[in-house]
Amino acid sequence: MHVADLVENALRAGAKHIRIALGRKGGALILEVTDDGQGMDLLEAERAMDPFYTTKDRPVKVGLGLPLLRQTAEELRGRLDISSQPGRGTRVRLELPWDHPDRPPIGDLAGTLIPLIITSQGVEFTLVLADDQRTWELDTREVRDHLGGLPLTHPEVLSFLERYVREGMEHVGLKEDG
Amino acid sequence: MKLEDLRRIRERAQDRLRLRGGEARIKIVVGMGTSGIAAGARKTLRAILDEVTRRNLSDVIVTQTGEKGLAAREPIVEVYEEGKVTVYGEVDEALARRIVAEHVVNGRPLSEHILEVREVKA
Repeated sequence: MHVADLVENALRAGAKHIRIALGRKGGALILEVTDDGQGMDLLEAERAMDPFYTTKDRPVKVGLGLPLLRQTAEELRGRLDISSQPGRGTRVRLELPWDHPDRPPIGDLAGTLIPLIITSQGVEFTLVLADDQRTWELDTREVRDHLGGLPLTHPEVLSFLERYVREGMEHVGLKEDG
Repeated sequence: MKLEDLRRIRERAQDRLRLRGGEARIKIVVGMGTSGIAAGARKTLRAILDEVTRRNLSDVIVTQTGEKGLAAREPIVEVYEEGKVTVYGEVDEALARRIVAEHVVNGRPLSEHILEVREVKA
């Protein structure tokens, strides 16, 4: 899945809070990443869809993240929407038909996201998992409250959070599917 | 599982620290400023966390800091021990794992990758 790519984009945009929502609703897989980073105006948002445009240090990486995501969405008859405002932040919303045989698997969300979350100093995250009936939520500010001064990078905290998210995935019927 | 369970992890960590007289044996700090992250510090930190967890090193704490003023040598990793801090530069994933295995576990600093060693007050 492309969750990590989208989160990396948000981090690069200088976000201080990133909300990641993943849901299985009405036969669709819905992924939404909302950040309060620098945002983009219309021209930049359009450029973000250009496979040869990137704001990253070249030539190490080429900015194929969003264009590839849109291509996947179009091929599967889903959709990718970006709404963004300079100075306010960006929201990327991906919707794919859950049962499409070519839908990318959710994969190891916990193993991908948690290391990214705990290594992003100064950024708070909200993770929301949902299906038609249930909602599950994790907020790093709440985690910090429970931990006092113990850092998120404490090994036991890391493995706790990974297990916790895996349990959340099962709770809402989003079990890893390959 | 409940988020409140984190309090137990916190208490256990505090107990262990108390047993050793209030200090972790070693503190590893990774520079996670913009230049550090651009140079791959996130992967470095993950590799260190992975090694520390895999080896069950409960007397080691891993934290992060901002810019270290050594942008050309990022990612920077500092190893704090009693009385001194060893600063490593250009620490990729492989070197990060070696620092944990050689320096932290076996007490043999990797001299060819050290930028500086400073004395610190205990």
